[in-house]
Amino acid sequence: MAPDNNDDFLTGTVPEPDAEPTAAERAHARTFADLIDKTLSGHTPPAMSTDDRTLLEVATVIRAATGNALLGTAKQRSIVEDALRQAVGGAGSTSSGSVVPITRGRARRWAPWAVAATSTLVAAAVLILWVRTPPRVVTHTVPAAQNLPETWKSRPADALIGPITKEHAGDASARIDTIFADRLDGYRELRLRGRKP
Amino acid sequence: MKFKLTLGVPILVVVVAGALAWSACKSSQEPTQGSGVTQVTDPADAIDQKLMVALSQAKNFHHKAKVYMSDGNTAAAIASVREILSLRFPDKAPEADDVRNDARALLARLLIGQGQLDEAMNVVNEGLASGRESFFVANLYTVQGEIHQARADALSEATDPAAKAKLVEERHAAIESFDKSNQIDKKLQDQLMESR
Repeated sequence: MAPDNNDDFLTGTVPEPDAEPTAAERAHARTFADLIDKTLSGHTPPAMSTDDRTLLEVATVIRAATGNALLGTAKQRSIVEDALRQAVGGAGSTSSGSVVPITRGRARRWAPWAVAATSTLVAAAVLILWVRTPPRVVTHTVPAAQNLPETWKSRPADALIGPITKEHAGDASARIDTIFADRLDGYRELRLRGRKP
Repeated sequence: MKFKLTLGVPILVVVVAGALAWSACKSSQEPTQGSGVTQVTDPADAIDQKLMVALSQAKNFHHKAKVYMSDGNTAAAIASVREILSLRFPDKAPEADDVRNDARALLARLLIGQGQLDEAMNVVNEGLASGRESFFVANLYTVQGEIHQARADALSEATDPAAKAKLVEERHAAIESFDKSNQIDKKLQDQLMESR
């Protein structure tokens, strides 16, 4: 005869329906109840016996089958807030694709027209730029330009400086100042010719 | 239907816009055909930016040398004047020869002051090889005469007959240089008087 193992609920002897629960059964029932409570609250113990795990899975299936499984308060709040945020045009915080914002639906409807309008404008702009040629620049060497005034030309500085006497032979810096100032005047007149002051 | 509308409207708009743009451009070009834009080109001898930059740099080097000379730093002054000789002027700008020859005259005088008579003569001869006669070349001949004179002065107390002969030679060379300077000065002054 097999030994009566009351600790093994799955393979042990089944007690009579009207039999009083033993202390061990009560203790085990209390422990298992705690285990279910913890599992439902998301705190499943990392280790448990094989029997307990089997019973726990059965209890979870039964609970889900009754349709009374509810999302946690935090999860519910998160989904609602996400849906509201998307409804007012903001980006959702979750990656759930179940909620489609109203604005996105409108955008999908107008997208082809927007693309068509934009492409039309771009095509028209490109066409205008392509067809429109820049003003022709014809460079004429005007004969008058060859006859620039002497003061606009690069030329020897003899007329400006005159003979260099021995007394002033060392005044090279004064001479270069004179040459520079004279040529600068000519350069300015040349650059500003034809322009109104 | 919707797809056809979406595709048809842009094509129609593009065609219309292109036709309008083309006709607008044609009409705007017609009155100006043949006129173009006239740009007057400057002749090659016009004063340009390159010349002004070179003159400006030469001016600054001269002033720098002047400051060094007033401080008694002749070596630095010589270095500053040498910088003028390496400035890049426009090709065939007459100012380039004038400015360089004036710098050579100053450089040679500074070298004479340092007792470097041979180096001073080399600097002067480089300038005299430039070709065109000018008051600046005349000044270089004057400096050349000063160098010959300085060489003669250095030989004045020599008793050696060869040295005495060299002394006489240097003095003659100095006179020739001064004469050449005067000759160029006179020639150019006459030319200027005639042109006025």
